[in-house]
Amino acid sequence: MVAGASNRDALVRARELALAGLLGALGLLLPIGFHALGWGGKIFLPMHLPVVVAGFLVSPATAVTVGFVVPLLSAVLTGMPPLSPPVAPLMALELAAKAGAASVFYRVLRLPLWVALAAAFVADWAVLALAAWFVAGLFAIKAGAIQYVAAAVVISLPGTILQVIAVPLTVLAIEKRVPRLRPAKRDETG
Amino acid sequence: MALAALEVTSLSYCYGQGASALHDISFRLAPGDRVALLGPNGAGKSTLLWCLVGVLRAQGTIVVDGTVLGPGTAAEIRAKLGLAFAEPEDQLFMPTVRRDVTFGPLAAGVGSEEASRAAEEAIGSVGLPAETLERAAYELSSGERRRAALASILVMDPLLLALDEPTNSLDARGRASLAGILLQLPCAQLVATHDLEFARALCARALVLVDGELVADTPMDALLSDTNGLQRYGLTAPLRTDDG
Amino acid sequence: MPHHLDLYVKRESALHRLDPRAKMLAAMGFVAAVLLVPTRPAWPTGALLLLLIGAAVLARLPARLVCRRMLSLVVVIGMPFLLSRLGGEATRAAGEQFAARSLLVAAAFLVLLASTRAVVLLEVAEHLPLVSVFGQLGEFILRGADLLTEEVVRTNRAWVLRAPSATLKVRLTGLTQASMSLLARAAARSERVGAAMVLRGFQSKLPMATPTPLSWSHLLAGLLFALISLGLAGVVRWR
Repeated sequence: MVAGASNRDALVRARELALAGLLGALGLLLPIGFHALGWGGKIFLPMHLPVVVAGFLVSPATAVTVGFVVPLLSAVLTGMPPLSPPVAPLMALELAAKAGAASVFYRVLRLPLWVALAAAFVADWAVLALAAWFVAGLFAIKAGAIQYVAAAVVISLPGTILQVIAVPLTVLAIEKRVPRLRPAKRDETG
Repeated sequence: MALAALEVTSLSYCYGQGASALHDISFRLAPGDRVALLGPNGAGKSTLLWCLVGVLRAQGTIVVDGTVLGPGTAAEIRAKLGLAFAEPEDQLFMPTVRRDVTFGPLAAGVGSEEASRAAEEAIGSVGLPAETLERAAYELSSGERRRAALASILVMDPLLLALDEPTNSLDARGRASLAGILLQLPCAQLVATHDLEFARALCARALVLVDGELVADTPMDALLSDTNGLQRYGLTAPLRTDDG
Repeated sequence: MPHHLDLYVKRESALHRLDPRAKMLAAMGFVAAVLLVPTRPAWPTGALLLLLIGAAVLARLPARLVCRRMLSLVVVIGMPFLLSRLGGEATRAAGEQFAARSLLVAAAFLVLLASTRAVVLLEVAEHLPLVSVFGQLGEFILRGADLLTEEVVRTNRAWVLRAPSATLKVRLTGLTQASMSLLARAAARSERVGAAMVLRGFQSKLPMATPTPLSWSHLLAGLLFALISLGLAGVVRWR
């Protein structure tokens, strides 16, 4: 007789909350560290790193939540990114889409890591473009959405390169330590 | 005959790659028993405890106070069997100690006021002042964390308390204090430890695990006086005796 | 402070004693007013600033502390503001609006967080229907920040002891490796924490104590502050 059981859904949810909390905390702490060193947030995108990593390790719902909460919590606790102009809300949408896309492509569709990362970037830029188009009217921004996204991408190129290098390495390092987090196969236990 | 606090029959567990961690383990704990689970590192002590609470799915039968561990009874078992982790940090996951200690009662549907009262009682029972409840875990010393984590389990009034290496990072005074707290608890206790001195102070009986097999189930005094046996099991006798 | 990301300043003050829900209501009203009010003319913004200073005084917050906490933000916001001064009228107005709103909103949250523990605010959020999950995650983020900060301090101490005269290249390499290791350990820890939660009866939501009823006097105090702020904004808008 097979003894032992666990409420699997509750266990998965609990683990995700704990992991999301840690990575979310890093999403708050890294920008503080970068700013302290004088490395611009808009250039190196330090908040994006742990949030995108979270996207690869948790379910889409949790990933979207992490992406949404971290910029807003940072805005409230540290004042950056600012709530007005609505940089923080925009970043919240951006990171929610980015982390959510990474999770959907990697954990649900089980596509390779680099494909999911590319999808995450595309989701990010798409949200930026949509938001820029929408916000343009409110704030009388003269530049078009495409130009805005292009400018943002160019400015944040170092950050993008950092993510392309660091995110896969980090995800693989974590998966090596905790094989259960790999989406391909799931351990029988727990 | 009174129901056993814990009855384990033919328990076996294999890790993912087929490596056997536990093999055909059977033992019984009566209500109020204090039993040490001894063995060298890697013997399977922690794995056994994880199986008892159903986090690891093992083969065999586990019965806690008459309830057989199965897919539908895990919650019931966990209400009766509290497990103190080797790392208390892992059980202090909320921003304040109060949230940690009231977590169990609130999850069980206990009212807020009652949960708060129970938390205050539990924190007092482990020798910590009530103000500890308002503190964050990182502000506590390692001994205080261990006690706070223990309080978060004791608040549920478990029938059986399982402890995994409870004396890790505790000094002699901390160990003595912890032993004093545990000795006053009426619940049955299963203490996984390699600290024989602590085991001797607390437990009258010892289960010895070596390479996943239960090789001895014996009174503590008999085990400690068998030097050859200790050596065979990879255990080291305590440095000091009761005579000093 | 109780948490590394907590900005709470322990004081005995009327604002500290005010129910956190009333304070959040006041803060939301104030922030809405800041976002509605144009920066030209300057008097409504000035009035809002005075209102906020009044709240800070009520909270008995030391001026030096407030200034110190606002300083890094002033520096970050100052640059775009100064750049905007070089542009045309519209650019200057936009720059003023950006600076004023950013600083006022940040200052409002600073007063709120200095007079209320972050964990208390997150607990309030957990009881609100739409943002409950954010409050839950926020609590884990708060705890996560404590853990990570402790780990970083420990790792740094180990570095200082082990390699006091290491070159920058060696330090950066070591820092990268240590960071990866820290993240991997943190991920492994989350497995155990998840088990701990389930063993304590976690199903899908964090169990919460029933909130105490919000007293009328506290509610009115919060509402009054919010209404005064919004009233100022309304006066300017309707003119």
